[in-house]
Amino acid sequence: MKIVVCIKQVPETNDVTIDPHTHNLDRRGLAGVMNPFDKNAVEQALQLKAATDAEVVLLTMGPDDYAQSLREGMAMGADSGVLLSDRAFAGADTLATGYVLAQAIAKIGDVDLIIFGRQAVDADTGQVGPIVAEFLHQPQITYAATLRLSGPNEVTAERLLEDTKQTLVAQLPAVVSVRSELNTPRYPTPRNIQLSFTKPLTTWHHDDLDLDDTRLGQAGSPTIVTKVYAPTPVKRALTPLTGTPQEAASQLIKALKDRQLL
Amino acid sequence: MSKPELWVVAERRLDHIEPTTQQLITKATRLAGDHFHVVTVLLEATTDHLEDELQPYGPDEIRIVRDDRFPTATDAELADALKQLIDAAHPNTVLFGATITGRSIAPRLQAKLQTGLTADCLDLRFDDETLVATKPSYGDNIMCEIICPDRRPQMATVRPNTFVAQPQADATPAITTAHITFHPVARLHVTAATPVVNTATTVGDASRVVALGRGAANEDTIASATQLAEKLGGRIGVSRPLTDQDRFTHDDQIGQSGNTIHPDLILNFGISGAVQYLVGMQDSQTIVSVNSDPNAPIFAASDYGYVGDAQAFMTALLAQFA
Ligand SMILES: Cc1cc2nc3c(=O)[nH]c(=O)nc-3n(C[C@H](O)[C@H](O)[C@H](O)COP(=O)(O)OP(=O)(O)OC[C@H]3O[C@@H](n4cnc5c(N)ncnc54)[C@H](O)[C@@H]3O)c2cc1C
Ligand SMILES: Nc1ncnc2c1ncn2[C@@H]1O[C@H](COP(=O)(O)O)[C@@H](O)[C@H]1O
Repeated sequence: MKIVVCIKQVPETNDVTIDPHTHNLDRRGLAGVMNPFDKNAVEQALQLKAATDAEVVLLTMGPDDYAQSLREGMAMGADSGVLLSDRAFAGADTLATGYVLAQAIAKIGDVDLIIFGRQAVDADTGQVGPIVAEFLHQPQITYAATLRLSGPNEVTAERLLEDTKQTLVAQLPAVVSVRSELNTPRYPTPRNIQLSFTKPLTTWHHDDLDLDDTRLGQAGSPTIVTKVYAPTPVKRALTPLTGTPQEAASQLIKALKDRQLL
Repeated sequence: MSKPELWVVAERRLDHIEPTTQQLITKATRLAGDHFHVVTVLLEATTDHLEDELQPYGPDEIRIVRDDRFPTATDAELADALKQLIDAAHPNTVLFGATITGRSIAPRLQAKLQTGLTADCLDLRFDDETLVATKPSYGDNIMCEIICPDRRPQMATVRPNTFVAQPQADATPAITTAHITFHPVARLHVTAATPVVNTATTVGDASRVVALGRGAANEDTIASATQLAEKLGGRIGVSRPLTDQDRFTHDDQIGQSGNTIHPDLILNFGISGAVQYLVGMQDSQTIVSVNSDPNAPIFAASDYGYVGDAQAFMTALLAQFA
């Protein structure tokens, strides 16, 4: 069985600022780490690997330094990593990202299960998984709260919708995106960290894949970001409640009565 | 020349309409003015009448497709049905709730249509016929305006409770039916579906909320808060750290990664006021906060504030409710 886990590298903190002159995001000095939600995806794959001796391949599209997150995932226990890196891929939105990932998965070949994190914490969309599923014509189970193999060629998952708990059974190949609640990602052991440097990390560029150039990068991205700004929390005119808790509570009760809330 | 269509895809929640649908219809009719034809697309079973719950919100048209497989259909099947409807009508814009369901179907549909989809939006407007969608990123630390200039339909999912649903007195939407061919996907089956029993109102639609943070997390305080919530006819909500306790879940959480709420009244106890929390509750009508730290950011976002101990204030308040 072969499992591909799609991972993204994101800035270490979400405290990004906006350059006052260029109005662009200022990410200088922010180290990259594996998207925290993708660690849950890697962990899930490793648990399935323990149960079935599956091969776990990590896949990421991004600049060369994303290799760091592939190493991190291999130090957790994944078998190999594939980095999709090319200037032609840059500036991709979720659609163009999903396209290249889908083409790469087709090239990896014989993939039984593709696991995604619930969302990337920088863009917060959660779209890439379903897009890849559609491009590969595979069934999808999003926001899985549990996931297990239930047959030689079958997974069973539970999914918590707003109103319903669903149990789904999918024939492989299938695409699953996981909720962060389903597991606690393991830490790399020193031995696995050492091993990770001997595991294969392959880089594929534009010419290594079968690609329609009109679907790549910025040109292949239907959406454009026209403005970025820092949200300003709405400030209110604060009326202090003062004195002892009893005094303050009676001031509040009067104020709420005046506002017809009591 | 007929008007461009602005669609809201209706979502079912058990045997009812998911409230986000009604919120989106209200917003869509406001945005539409005379310029767009607002259509609510409803996929329902032959015996359903969910249109009755949509009609008061006054879209121009409710377009119904009936098939008994819809209530239990999977994402790919629903995306396929919507693709057929879109190919037939060429809407300008398609809106979904950013619920788990919406966020699962919309990107599949996007891939079929090869168009743009902006996720989890907090605001929408039109520049002529181009949708300008405001989306938070980096955990709500940054807002982005995103457009899809060249391809149609342009699509967005909108965070639940971002807009307020308002019924209209004189709403008379046209009710039409449309047809699609249902293409079953054999490889995925829903084998069980149990309703999550939660008959009480959720923090998302309570009109009074008592919110607890890390500074109001002990047994006694939670007990007092429960009494207070009962007295006010409201619900308890929590900041994120409290969802680590067994008694609270993600459904009780207020904030960017939880519920966006706008109750008439919210009382915040022991909550510092991180931006991720504030965005979830800053549209509440009246905001009261109690915190022992006079410099807690929550005060700048509050109408009334008390610097002091949460438990002491709650006790005093409970004593004065006759
Ligand atoms: C991507 C991302 C998403 C997030 N999403 C959310 C979200 O949806 N919702 C959310 O809430 N958080 C969210 N957070 C976390 C958020 O940044 C804060 O960490 C969190 O809101 C803090 O919760 P708190 O105010 O309860 O705790 P703290 O920040 O620890 O504040 C506790 C407060 O209690 C006060 N206090 C202590 N003792 C007392 C007392 N006896 N009486 C009165 N006051 C007292 C203290 O002065 C302090 O101000 C998110 C963070 C990230 C990075
Ligand atoms: N550039 C990328 N390379 C590989 N996987 C990605 C990439 N971007 C997103 N993903 C995967 O898609 C999931 C959802 O991402 P997003 O739609 O950006 O929120 C992530 O949790 C990853 O599993």
